[in-house]
Amino acid sequence: MATSFKKILTQKGYWYLIFKILAFLILFFILDFILGGFLGKLYFKQTSGWEYRTKYSIEDTRADILIFGASRAQQQYNPFFFEERLKQTCYNVGRDGEPFFYYYAIFKGILKRYTPKMIILDIENGVFRAEQTSYDRISVLLPFYKNHPEMRSVIKLKGPFEKYKLQSKVYPYNSMLFKILIGNAEFNKKRSIDINGYVPLSRALNEPTRSVNISQKYDLDANKLNLYQSFINECLKANIKLYIVCSPYYINLIGSDTSMTIAKNVAKSNSIQFFDFSKDDFFLKNPNLFDDTVHVNIEGAKIFSNKLIDSIILNSAYKN
Amino acid sequence: MIFTSIFFALFFLIVAVFYYALPHKFRWLWILASGIFFYLQSKPTYLLIVTFIILITWYAGLQIGNTTSSKKGWRFYFLAIIANIGILVFFKYTNFFTSSAVDFINFIRQKIFSSTETITNSLLINVIAPLGISYITFQAIGYLIEIKRGNHAAEKNLGHFATFLLFFPKITAGPVERAHNFLPQLKKVKPFEYNNISCGLKQILWGLFKKLVIADRLFIYVSAVLPNAEHHSGISLIIAVVFYVFQMYADFSGYSDMAIGFAKVLGFDVMSNFNRPLLAKSVTEFWRKWHISLSTWFADYFYTPIAIAKRDWGMWSVVYASFTTFIVLGFWHGAYWTFIVFGGLQGFILTIEFFTRKARKNIRKKIPAFLNGLIGITFTFSYFAFSLIFFRANYLTDAFTIIKRIFTANGPIYMENPSIIVFSLLGISFLTLVEVKREYFNNLFTLYDNKNWLIRNCYYCLLLIIILTAGVFDGGEFIYFQF
Repeated sequence: MATSFKKILTQKGYWYLIFKILAFLILFFILDFILGGFLGKLYFKQTSGWEYRTKYSIEDTRADILIFGASRAQQQYNPFFFEERLKQTCYNVGRDGEPFFYYYAIFKGILKRYTPKMIILDIENGVFRAEQTSYDRISVLLPFYKNHPEMRSVIKLKGPFEKYKLQSKVYPYNSMLFKILIGNAEFNKKRSIDINGYVPLSRALNEPTRSVNISQKYDLDANKLNLYQSFINECLKANIKLYIVCSPYYINLIGSDTSMTIAKNVAKSNSIQFFDFSKDDFFLKNPNLFDDTVHVNIEGAKIFSNKLIDSIILNSAYKN
Repeated sequence: MIFTSIFFALFFLIVAVFYYALPHKFRWLWILASGIFFYLQSKPTYLLIVTFIILITWYAGLQIGNTTSSKKGWRFYFLAIIANIGILVFFKYTNFFTSSAVDFINFIRQKIFSSTETITNSLLINVIAPLGISYITFQAIGYLIEIKRGNHAAEKNLGHFATFLLFFPKITAGPVERAHNFLPQLKKVKPFEYNNISCGLKQILWGLFKKLVIADRLFIYVSAVLPNAEHHSGISLIIAVVFYVFQMYADFSGYSDMAIGFAKVLGFDVMSNFNRPLLAKSVTEFWRKWHISLSTWFADYFYTPIAIAKRDWGMWSVVYASFTTFIVLGFWHGAYWTFIVFGGLQGFILTIEFFTRKARKNIRKKIPAFLNGLIGITFTFSYFAFSLIFFRANYLTDAFTIIKRIFTANGPIYMENPSIIVFSLLGISFLTLVEVKREYFNNLFTLYDNKNWLIRNCYYCLLLIIILTAGVFDGGEFIYFQF
């Protein structure tokens, strides 16, 4: 046995190659395990930053009211006013640049732990547009693949080999190293203001509105549409009060967006209240309430949050 | 099928395993079948064009080699060369020529006939070039020229010749291989050699690192800044231009490393494409180290014949040959004025360097070698970076906007996501460190080729782990695929 093994090593044939590859893989998995474990520890220990907010949304929040969406959720809905006026705890789980896959995966993660009382889902024009970047951005959810089986169906949409890539312990933290390090640093808490997930914006626009025709056709993503329907179904099943909202733009929108039309129709067919502020005159006449054309600033967020709360109260009163 | 995809990794694994499992006489057939399969992944109908190139070049090669009549030989030679160039020109330049013709006709109608009607661009044919058409036709032309010159015999086996042009590691973006280097290797019985596989895999790993960790990371910053120059400050534009040099190098040399590595695993030594060009001390030296397979192709089959034909002009023959070569080289990249200016800038500086070579040599004697090297590297890098502004821009006006704003636009550094800058700088630093070490301190302590198995393999593992943690997996294709 020892002689034949020695022969393999000296002859440098096929078996030698296999032996070397195996030895390399063992070494790789040991290093990967150590470094991946270390990164994992750091990731889940974060106290601030975007990754922290994602982790907090999935694993920690127990708020009664949750606000879902992308940057237009994160930067326009101030939980302070929801808590104050609706007398319920509120957390904004929106995250800049994230597509519908993100909202749905977070929703699934939360639903596994508890059932919130109310959900506000912010959607924007083009939300169901088919684009590769939406799938690429699923990468922010990779750290949760291992311990959150309920999110796996969404994570696997990233690509057919994702399951295999995730055998590596460091891969889930791809491109996150500096974010994780900063997320563990004390100074970062002061650097980025975060009011229960809400990130205020401070600039004020001073320009006339521009007109944009939003009637152009584009390809729709069947996965996003299915998840939207599932989101609504699961809210109904869990008896969660769901409001779908399109927040204000400082753009004179001409025509109607395909995604928005579908979103409204699906909401209507499921008897879900849809609040559309996208063409709200008040906001269109007040550029000073906007940080840019698609995000309201801190003052705008205050007004918009209160307007939405008024609508919710009115709607509840009407229903009761 | 992109080299960095898992689909390609599986494809290559299957190719390599069966390649070594098959007896020698069937291996070329397997490689050819793999090449065809690889090609079919792009646009299947274009395989017909490549087949036409293969058939016409192979047949002409045989006729040139066999014929005793020089007239007949010339006829076949010309026909085959014209066919190859015709295909290349049609697929790469039809859009350019037709749109230029439409613009010209519109201009004439407006200026001379005061017509307000214009011929619209809808009349244009949108021709999409087949995958790797430039590289395939260049290799075919090189093959014909070598036979015509009597340097090499024509390949009798059509299958072997087809395998040469359809060898999948080099189809998409080279190296522009020479038939006399490749074909003998195809025929030679190659026993399984551990070292080939080991060296090949290491080169693939290093290529992957350069592409995923460095090039695709730099791409994020470069693509956010350079195409939107009017919104960025001069300092951001300078950073983006410098990043673009490294992006281009890491992308193309990363691709070449992988191509050479894949070939090596299969036991083939294909031409090297880069030799640490960013450490070149002059632009002349730079072009000996950058895209070597293409620059030597141009030197052998374009520059030298022109310089010889015009030798009566004395030194001016070199200037003429340099300028013509680089204008054509620029035009080869694409039918845009930006590429022609890029080529012209190279021709210009090579002329200057040619005429000042003695003066520069005298100056070099008076300053320390280290300082001389540093000045040379800095100048060469800066000049190449400047010329790449034209290479990267879509239109000449875009390039001029970038140049103007570099000098006039004050403002902060664009830093939407600081981690991109940090990752980019770390990647550039690591690449520079490795290149400097290999260029100047090659005999010093090495991790890559360390004699200790554990140290060596820990280094490879770390490269792989860095790829997994810092690589950009949703990046695009290689820059040179489009050429």
